[in-house]
Amino acid sequence: MNHRTLAIGRVPPAAATLTRVASFFSQPMNLIFMGVAGVIAFLALYPSFFLLYGSFTDAPLGVPGHFTLHNYVQAYSDPEAYRLILTSFIFGIGASGLSVVLALTLAWITIRTNAPFRRLFELTAIIPNIMPPLLISISWVLLLNPSNGLINVTLMRLLGLAKAPFNIYSVPGLIFVEGLILTPLAFLIIAAAMKGMDPALEESAKTLGSNEFGVATRITFPLMRPAILAAGTLNFVRAVESFDTPAIIALPARIEVFTTKIWREALGSFPTNHNLAATYGVGILAIALIFVYLYRRFTSQVESFSTVTGKAFRPHQIELGKWRYLASSVAFVLLILMVVLPFLVLLLVSLMPYYHVPTWETWHNLTLSNYRYILDTSRVHKAFGNSLFLAIVGASICMFLAALTSYITVRTKIAGRGLLEGLVFIPWAFPGTALALGLLWAYVDFPIPIYATIWIIMIAYVTRFLPYGLRAVSSTIIQIHKELEEASTACGAGFFATFRRILIPLMRPGIMAGWIILATIYIREFSASIFLYSPGSEPLGPLLYFLYLDGMRGRVGALGVVISIICVILIAFAQRLSRWEAK
Amino acid sequence: MPRNFKILFVFLATLGLFYAELALGQDTKLIEAAKKEGGKVVAYGSLESDTADAISKAFQKKTGLEMEYWRASATKVMDRALSEYRAGKPFFDVILINDNPLQIMQKEGLFAKYDSPSAKQFPKDAIDPNLGPRYRNVIVGIVYNKNMIKPADVPKSLEDVVNPKYKGKLVMPDPTQHTTTTQWVASLFKLMGKEKADKYIRDLAAMKPILVESLLPAAERVTTGETPIAITYVKYAYIFGQKGAPLDYVRLGKMLGDGHYAPLSSKAPHPNAGKAFVDYLLGEESMKIMAKMGEFVNRKGVHPPLPDADKIQFVEMEDLDAKGYAEKKKEYTKIFLQ
Repeated sequence: MNHRTLAIGRVPPAAATLTRVASFFSQPMNLIFMGVAGVIAFLALYPSFFLLYGSFTDAPLGVPGHFTLHNYVQAYSDPEAYRLILTSFIFGIGASGLSVVLALTLAWITIRTNAPFRRLFELTAIIPNIMPPLLISISWVLLLNPSNGLINVTLMRLLGLAKAPFNIYSVPGLIFVEGLILTPLAFLIIAAAMKGMDPALEESAKTLGSNEFGVATRITFPLMRPAILAAGTLNFVRAVESFDTPAIIALPARIEVFTTKIWREALGSFPTNHNLAATYGVGILAIALIFVYLYRRFTSQVESFSTVTGKAFRPHQIELGKWRYLASSVAFVLLILMVVLPFLVLLLVSLMPYYHVPTWETWHNLTLSNYRYILDTSRVHKAFGNSLFLAIVGASICMFLAALTSYITVRTKIAGRGLLEGLVFIPWAFPGTALALGLLWAYVDFPIPIYATIWIIMIAYVTRFLPYGLRAVSSTIIQIHKELEEASTACGAGFFATFRRILIPLMRPGIMAGWIILATIYIREFSASIFLYSPGSEPLGPLLYFLYLDGMRGRVGALGVVISIICVILIAFAQRLSRWEAK
Repeated sequence: MPRNFKILFVFLATLGLFYAELALGQDTKLIEAAKKEGGKVVAYGSLESDTADAISKAFQKKTGLEMEYWRASATKVMDRALSEYRAGKPFFDVILINDNPLQIMQKEGLFAKYDSPSAKQFPKDAIDPNLGPRYRNVIVGIVYNKNMIKPADVPKSLEDVVNPKYKGKLVMPDPTQHTTTTQWVASLFKLMGKEKADKYIRDLAAMKPILVESLLPAAERVTTGETPIAITYVKYAYIFGQKGAPLDYVRLGKMLGDGHYAPLSSKAPHPNAGKAFVDYLLGEESMKIMAKMGEFVNRKGVHPPLPDADKIQFVEMEDLDAKGYAEKKKEYTKIFLQ
């Protein structure tokens, strides 16, 4: 069928061009480029094609329709859409800005200083990424709603207030919660870059008389620019694209953002209008591509960010003296907000037969029935098995692709590498449900029977989340100076040997950061999986979703707690593997 | 004389088996055929997972056939089923969702007409010519938190709910975003006549109710005590009440709701298993199981264990097509959000 074939290039008629082609392919780098580009192009374009096509017709997938620009007219001629895009921008900038500030602070404290407990901080900073954003939003509503939020009620009692001091149903509330949700991602990217930094520059600043704070603001943070921008970009697009938090916090506040509008017009309409959803997706894609372009512009002077050079080094650690307890306290407070409070609420929800503001009687009513459900139900065990498989294998495959792609886009001069990076972002820009349907349509009749098995979910995850892996690893690869590769090639090593023995070890912090981000997302993802899994291959994300749909918050809480604990073990293990060898 | 007894016994046993075979004849043939197909039925639906689990276990016990169930919201089920069907490869045998999306799917030819022998047990007006019997109803009503509202202050009727004293105390799903709620608001005229309904809708909007994503979050806010009164499914009063939540529902008498059906796919990969499942689902045993779990099944005398459940009069909501929904959404956006 025509729409399934990809036309690759023109057919050269003359013999002279044939020799040019032959020489192109004889270089291993170009072969690898073609291989990687081929895989990514297929993964990204195959499902996206159906969505893009859908945005230009008036009929759903599979039904013959007519070419029309009506969807675009409907989506973009509505003045309300632009007002909402502005609100979403404010929300996105606020949330991603907050997340970057928090991440920088936390990363600096855990990686650069000798503050006590910093290893613990590093481990736990990732936990919010494990909890589905839905659960975190619900937890914060239970804590900060103006009528019976736990924190409000406690403060009112302690300070004798008449009205609740905090109202989560507001734009600041929305930015606050989304910012906290996004911080782990920013933390992982920024921390990886910080770990890989050569301390020579910082040390020379100190020798010249700068104090630690001066070093941080004038040397460290500016050198982190690629990582900061990477984290900021990803989080901005993620915030603008998120639906769970606005649905729970913005709706009751009668605040509208772009995604709630998309929901009303397209996804929540009846029947679902995927053509319109795809059209909105194209808009988000345009925004994402602009940001990718800006990111590449700002980090184009690659040499100036190289800090990982051939000299052996140890990351510079700052002795804070008695300030280190202050630093620990700051990190501690941040972690209480990011991790402890939502987790505690989750724990409470899992132990109570139904959630209500706890009183002294509540202690008598606590129950372990939700945990018993997890232990007794084979369906839950199977879901754990499926999700762990998807997380470990999927994240590894994805990071392998990401490392190769990142090398090509950052390191080589191959024409079209910018296009490769753009390709990676295409599937990601479409709203989750729209992409899921694109994937369904693309693979339901595939010659290899992967639909309704676990492999289609794997493909969906890799397709959708490759940008995360790419961003995580790009910011580390930028820091590696060319001289290391050149030395390796001068000694006679081929591409794969250099890649394996020089680059991958140096990129390890970035690869590990990306792997952890991906594994924790894969383990609870549901908007793509929900359409593609079948009863035998059910992962945890859809399980959590249908438990939530059925009103079983207790079981959702219990499952959330267990997933978090398993993930922490997984991550601790992964971090062990990536630890720097001293000298 | 033992030998004669033996012959008599064998004769009676054979006779018994023969009659049993006649009675279950159609059943066993169907089940045998289903076993040859692979021994399982695949259903997509919005029926709650615990209920589906209970039915699946009982079904397997009775027939030896397995049920594989894919649970999602009705719109998602419709999306997936339609997409698979249009791609030419539907994986499902039976669909278990409510009326409105089923009608859309029916028009595209997704279903085969199946006259299940179990359908005879349903009142004639509850049988759709294409979809079969309406086996259960989901009912929308007013649910409230007993600890937060004194018995004297509880609203006594729908009209009571828009009394200004309840301002800020009511939560409901956003009628511009949640399709069942759009349907509910659009069907209020069936309970109170068109003129009164139009005024009521405006009064309801003037109350500035707290808007949430769907009927479940509305019920949850009442359970946690955040908002005392909700417009939501009446069955949540039972489901959350079972866990200890102090919920009760307003005895409105007539309540609006939607019907659920169990049609068979026209391209079912396991048609005989599908038929056997539909036969079971519509049968007495399954109805009793569902009612015990809080469902309002469409069988005379079978009620969920919710107090006064037998006094509820079910009024079917109006079906809306795509154009109808778009119009109502626009109308309600003006009324509720501006």
